[in-house]
Amino acid sequence: MLISVKNLHKSFGDLDVLRGVDLEIPKGNVVAIIGPSGSGKTTFLRCLNALEMPNKGTFSFSDGFELDFARSPKKEEILKLRRKSGMVFQSYNLFPHKTALENVMEGPVIVQRKKKEEVRVKAEELLKKVGLAEKMHLYPHQLSGGQQQRVGIARALAIEPELMLFDEPTSALDPELVGEVLSVMRELAKEGQTMAVVTHELKFAEDVADHVMFIDGGVIVEQGPPEEILKSPKEARTKQFLDRVLNPS
Amino acid sequence: MAKMFLNELIINNAAPIVDWDLFWSSLGPMIEGGIKNTIPLTLISFACGLVIAVLTALARISTSKILAGIARVYVSAIRGTPLLVQLFIIFYGLPNLGNAFVLDPFPSACIAFSLNVGAYASEIIRASILSVPKGQWEAGYTIGMTYRQTLFRIILPQATRVSIPPLSNSFISLVKDTSLASQILVVELFRRSQEIAARTYDFLQLYLTAALLYWIICFILSIIQGRIEKRLDRYVAK
Ligand SMILES: Nc1ncnc2c1ncn2[C@@H]1O[C@H](COP(=O)(O)OP(=O)(O)OP(=O)(O)O)[C@@H](O)[C@H]1O
Ligand SMILES: [Mg+2]
Repeated sequence: MLISVKNLHKSFGDLDVLRGVDLEIPKGNVVAIIGPSGSGKTTFLRCLNALEMPNKGTFSFSDGFELDFARSPKKEEILKLRRKSGMVFQSYNLFPHKTALENVMEGPVIVQRKKKEEVRVKAEELLKKVGLAEKMHLYPHQLSGGQQQRVGIARALAIEPELMLFDEPTSALDPELVGEVLSVMRELAKEGQTMAVVTHELKFAEDVADHVMFIDGGVIVEQGPPEEILKSPKEARTKQFLDRVLNPS
Repeated sequence: MAKMFLNELIINNAAPIVDWDLFWSSLGPMIEGGIKNTIPLTLISFACGLVIAVLTALARISTSKILAGIARVYVSAIRGTPLLVQLFIIFYGLPNLGNAFVLDPFPSACIAFSLNVGAYASEIIRASILSVPKGQWEAGYTIGMTYRQTLFRIILPQATRVSIPPLSNSFISLVKDTSLASQILVVELFRRSQEIAARTYDFLQLYLTAALLYWIICFILSIIQGRIEKRLDRYVAK
């Protein structure tokens, strides 16, 4: 197991958004997280790198690193957690005052304090890998949404995270741009990158995920291999949700 | 009746409307006052004021209630009192506390104007920091940056772009406000015009000349402002 999450709780004021979520992600696996709007998918992902501070729950990593949110973790522990994962946002959140290349270099240079020349070589490779070799000196506002999101992926990969987190990475994109981002993600999965992906792209989940988790009302209703969850779900709520997504009207 | 009054005016002001000799001879001392006092006073006060403003803005958005409280009181006190009164307190008032508090006019003015810029600009800087989307903080955090790294490398550069237009306005206001320092004996541009007017009684012409000089300075500054804004255009999140 790269990471096991146990009994994760998160509330905003009176609103209990996550009510005891357990999940194990084996190294190299892709977990797809699906569920209706407002079910807590984003919150779950944000808890995984402490952008939201869980009220309760533990994370344990394969290297022995453990975080127990019941006793509020120290700053250094939070930083350590964040440096283990990379996040790709729905709205890209690129740094607008930096070029694509500078966006990608920022983490390794500033956070990991690596040598600039070495980082540059690696960052250029990453941008090539996401198909942006020609665009690396452009600023975010000079790029299309799909290109920006691919820079976002490269930026997250640059810190060599053990776990990549994606929050609906394609839902802000025009339909014709979705494919280019998904194909980068497929490539990553093939290379054995561990990923947790919140997505509405069921086809993608079916093809790429090793594990699908259906979340509703802040609890995992059902989880298992994609063919099981997406093709023959046991729970009524899962069936209902899949029905609505597959036959919208 | 009105006609008689008008006639009288014309007779009493028989002198030419613009006394060019006086104009040219008054320019020298006024420009000298500008270069020796108005401009240094503006630059020093603005630089010190900006440092105070950034610290105050950071204190106001910090999670520490005490820091935020102190910053709030400071901003409120400065914004709630007239600049002229602040100048008088520092220059004429503080000496009552003892000889250690007797300051020359120029440093007194620097202190008052710095505190003033600090308070007003802190509000501008605070608002521009808050205007940077929350996602920018989060993007910094997710690549492992600390609060400080994110603030200095990601947030402040973007906030700077947002704050340039209002800060330039503060700067231009400051140039004009320094004329108040004439009231605490700083021999700056406006005080020079007052001194000459006291001798020649050509109040209108001399004060108009002073106004013209301020206008020229501010005009040049607004051109520079436009240039800087253009250059910083790419710093905005779109
Ligand atoms: N910062 C916050 N403060 C208060 N409530 C919040 C906050 N963030 C999320 N919520 C609430 O938590 C619930 C879960 O939100 P979340 O964003 O995790 O849902 P989601 O499953 O990602 O939905 P979607 O598919 O629409 O993105 C919602 O009811 C939302 O209003
Ligand atoms: Mg969401």
